[in-house]
Amino acid sequence: MNSNEVAMDELQIDTNSLSAKDRAELEKAQPMWKMVLTQFLDHKLAVVGAVIIHLFLLISIFAGQIRSITGLDPDAQNVANRYLSPMTTAQVGQDVRETEVERYINAFPESADKIQKALLEKGLVQVAEADAIYDLASRDVKEAISSLQSLNLPEATDLISTFKNFETFHLFGTDELGRDVFIRLVYGTRVSMGVGVLVAIASALIGLLIGSLAGFYGGLIDTVLMRVTDALLSLPTIPVLIVMAAIDLTKLPWLKAIVSTSNESIFKMVIILCLFSWMTVARLVRGSILSIREREFVLAARTLGAKDSTIIVRHMFPNVIAPMLVSITLGVGESILFEAALSFLGLGIMPPTPSWGNMLNNAQELIYQAPFLAILPGILILLTTISFNYLGDGLQDAIDPKAIRR
Amino acid sequence: MTAFITRRILQTLAVIVVLSYVFYYLMSLMPGDPVDMMVASNPKITAEDVARLKSLYGLDQPTYKRYLNWVASMSQGDLGYSRTYRVPVQELMGPRLWNTFLLSFISLTLSIAIAVPLGVISALRPGSRTDYFMNLFSFAGISIPSFWLAIVLIILFAVKFPLLPAGGTQTIGGEPLGFWADLMDRSFYLVLPVLSLSIQQIGRFSRFTRSAMLEAMRNDFIRTARAKGLSRRVVIWQHGFRNALIPLITILALSFSGLFSGAILTETVFAYQGVGKLVYDSIIGNDYNVAMISLVISVSMVLLMNLVADILYGFADPRISYQ
Repeated sequence: MNSNEVAMDELQIDTNSLSAKDRAELEKAQPMWKMVLTQFLDHKLAVVGAVIIHLFLLISIFAGQIRSITGLDPDAQNVANRYLSPMTTAQVGQDVRETEVERYINAFPESADKIQKALLEKGLVQVAEADAIYDLASRDVKEAISSLQSLNLPEATDLISTFKNFETFHLFGTDELGRDVFIRLVYGTRVSMGVGVLVAIASALIGLLIGSLAGFYGGLIDTVLMRVTDALLSLPTIPVLIVMAAIDLTKLPWLKAIVSTSNESIFKMVIILCLFSWMTVARLVRGSILSIREREFVLAARTLGAKDSTIIVRHMFPNVIAPMLVSITLGVGESILFEAALSFLGLGIMPPTPSWGNMLNNAQELIYQAPFLAILPGILILLTTISFNYLGDGLQDAIDPKAIRR
Repeated sequence: MTAFITRRILQTLAVIVVLSYVFYYLMSLMPGDPVDMMVASNPKITAEDVARLKSLYGLDQPTYKRYLNWVASMSQGDLGYSRTYRVPVQELMGPRLWNTFLLSFISLTLSIAIAVPLGVISALRPGSRTDYFMNLFSFAGISIPSFWLAIVLIILFAVKFPLLPAGGTQTIGGEPLGFWADLMDRSFYLVLPVLSLSIQQIGRFSRFTRSAMLEAMRNDFIRTARAKGLSRRVVIWQHGFRNALIPLITILALSFSGLFSGAILTETVFAYQGVGKLVYDSIIGNDYNVAMISLVISVSMVLLMNLVADILYGFADPRISYQ
């Protein structure tokens, strides 16, 4: 972070050694966004942060596609394969195989019949015709698939793909219920990032509304709103969040209508976090509005007969957007941390919906059996929050007009 | 000055009263009350018994009446009875407050002692390699989830290399060993919680120190002091650091408020018997009296420390005056 004077000094020294062409380029005015972008790209770690955030956003948007490509199910339990270590291949239990085979036989009776006959002919199974496919399914999955392929029947392709699903590859191992950790992390990304982004944007809007009302009208409105803001700011966050998370929202009649049981925990999380994170934005907005309230362009707008709402929205908001953007970015990281903390305590997002925080929920009891279960979600939380913090830092440097080096 | 302090104290008291009522109301919104819990654990209980118990505990009255009763008994020095631990709240709070104070005080002193010099050093050489790594470290410190840091420390130092206990406050079931041996035993259990709290605080404090110091060193009077030929040490500490103190006081005062409210997440992960864990356990276990007292204590500490910070500004910066 160079101070203004230093930047000017450097510029003077530099221009003397520059060619005429470079100097002409220097003197060409750049649009604002280009300056901000150049400034931002200078902050290497902020750029890395932005890349990581985009990666996670893509993962959370395409979670469904990742699921269908890998064929993994975040809720599929498999008690036989608990605590598998990362990078292992597991085969599903016999009961699951039997139901799958039964479904196949019911769906395609003719081709099943053909396959059964062919299996017996080649001597691959030594049981009654009706049990042939079941017998094959109970063997090792790779062996069963190769025997099926050796039949060279066009009808067998469906069955082969069914058999292929009997074997699952677990990139990050499995958890205490035998669920695949990788796909749960992918879906957890969606929940955690979703809650973080939603809370940051919603609380920024609340803060914008309250801050601009307080700053523009002043007087009693300002005093009341700012006292409330100060009181909320002085609360110890975690204990209050725990109390809020522990209460039963359905006891409040006016909320009962909107909250449904399936998404209750996510909805509750967003509301609670919003309630306690709008204050910084409100103070920020109030401060900037106070500083521009008496400026000439506001007076000019008023003389032209603009309404209060027009003055606030058209003439004042553009002046607070930049610092708000920074505050939103930093807010996302903070909300993700709070969500993770509450879910870790068992008060946030309720299982089976995976979130990074609740995946750590029972990880502590399992540090002897499966330490990696505790490591992975935490690394993702750390990576995301640190990226958002660096992004916010980079944006702040880039947007701050005092720091702009032309 | 006196008028200012009196006004602020009155305001603070008003906020505490309002907030304690809000907490009381929120607690009444939590699922189940103590009598419901008794009913669940005792199938023989009849409907008349339930009604009788509810009126005995005053649970059949509206929230504001119960709140007034609670305030009345509080003002007589009766903090109530813990339903989970079956002891008066006073007895429960004493040792817990001491444990929490020990943990927070050690980690706070440690982190200030490390973070402030670190922040000053990196502010004096902005853009250097030291500054870069300091920055990375402090960003990591702010961004790391505290409970996860605690778990990782346990995995590292209690599971992989079993050097330190994974949790607890002191060895259970041991005979009293005398003052020093007891102290040794306790400090053994304190290492990991202190480490996990300090890493975060160092990150936060050093960042604040850095930006405050950077701002202070940019002033014109620093250049004047240098031009006068003052020694580097005098310029940095007497002219620069003195002016960086104001923003630092705020953040430090706010951290001091955590001395008694405790670190809920860290204490819970390490099963450290402090106020933080008590708050969590009592909220989860529906132990109204304990939860209310702990919450009121932590909120009052924060508000009090805000006030202290405001008063300290006056000493740090003579330009600030209170009318």
